[in-house]
Amino acid sequence: MSRPPLIVVLLAVVILALGETGGASISQLRPAIERYAAARIAANRDAHGLSGSAEYDDEVRERSTYTAEAGLSFFHTHAEGMGLVLFFASTLVASVVPGRPLRALLYVLLSLGALFPLGYLAYGIAVLELGRESGVELAERWVLSPLGLSAMAGLVGLAVALLGAMRRGRESVAG
Amino acid sequence: MSASSGPADLARTWRLPPPWALLAAILLIICAEVGGASMARFKLEIARWARSLMLARPDVHGLVGVRDVDERILDEALVKVDAGLRLFHLHAEGMGLVIIVTTTVAATLVASGRARTALIVLFTVGGAGYPLGYLLWSGLIPVVGLTRAKVIAEWLIWIPFGGTTIVALWWLAGAVALRLRRP
Repeated sequence: MSRPPLIVVLLAVVILALGETGGASISQLRPAIERYAAARIAANRDAHGLSGSAEYDDEVRERSTYTAEAGLSFFHTHAEGMGLVLFFASTLVASVVPGRPLRALLYVLLSLGALFPLGYLAYGIAVLELGRESGVELAERWVLSPLGLSAMAGLVGLAVALLGAMRRGRESVAG
Repeated sequence: MSASSGPADLARTWRLPPPWALLAAILLIICAEVGGASMARFKLEIARWARSLMLARPDVHGLVGVRDVDERILDEALVKVDAGLRLFHLHAEGMGLVIIVTTTVAATLVASGRARTALIVLFTVGGAGYPLGYLLWSGLIPVVGLTRAKVIAEWLIWIPFGGTTIVALWWLAGAVALRLRRP
């Protein structure tokens, strides 16, 4: 199997490393993360709609902290997955896609798609800074959706290229 | 891919890592598959086994003999036992693939023979060992309680083996980045 360009390999390894490190941090730094989240929610009390009523505010704080932590957890799982996806998909691109421009386009799309997990870091931060609903909406619309679409476009392009390679293989056998 | 023997060159193809690294990855994935299937098939038996162990150790789990209180404690512990098995299944599947990918990259792109061997060993040992921490955690919960089980799994498995994989990953990232800078 051919190997993709070094920069793509480097990105795949870095995404995997970030995923592993993120997972370890979630586990080891949970109390510190919770304290940071509580501090940011208190600093952005209008965005979170804190009312001054202890019972209500505790519930809001708990939900926002949970959502921010979920963002970190999704970052860990998606980074592990997307690092592997980038490695295997780009190896297939290097091995079966004819034409340098098309290969380059697919590398770019797949590499942007591999950045998708970073959207969950943005998700976690945006929830704390902008409030739960606004933060989730911002991260989904401006980070997760574009990067996710890029990954899908790259994978669809690879699938089409694989179909083309299969057809060429059949024609050469028939010929 | 081609079999790895000598030092890495500038070839544009992947080199295979040593067979023992691939074997460890495949065995880990098999364990994950078997673990996932066993979890589903023996769910009741596992829950009964864990419950009987916990009932035999009321002090460890803080059981007081009041049904309403004890059932809540037992349920929480059983959920964690199940979670440990699920996390073993997930992490073993994932780390098996991570071993294949990282050892392939190291076999192909790390020029120094010693560094290449060290990285492949670190990825294989770290990746294969880490998921076992979830099995240990799950198995220890009924015996030593939630908190102690987590501490033991953390210090015996998660921190050493997870740390090994993290260090190796950043080392590999550095090695690939250095390779990028070469003309």
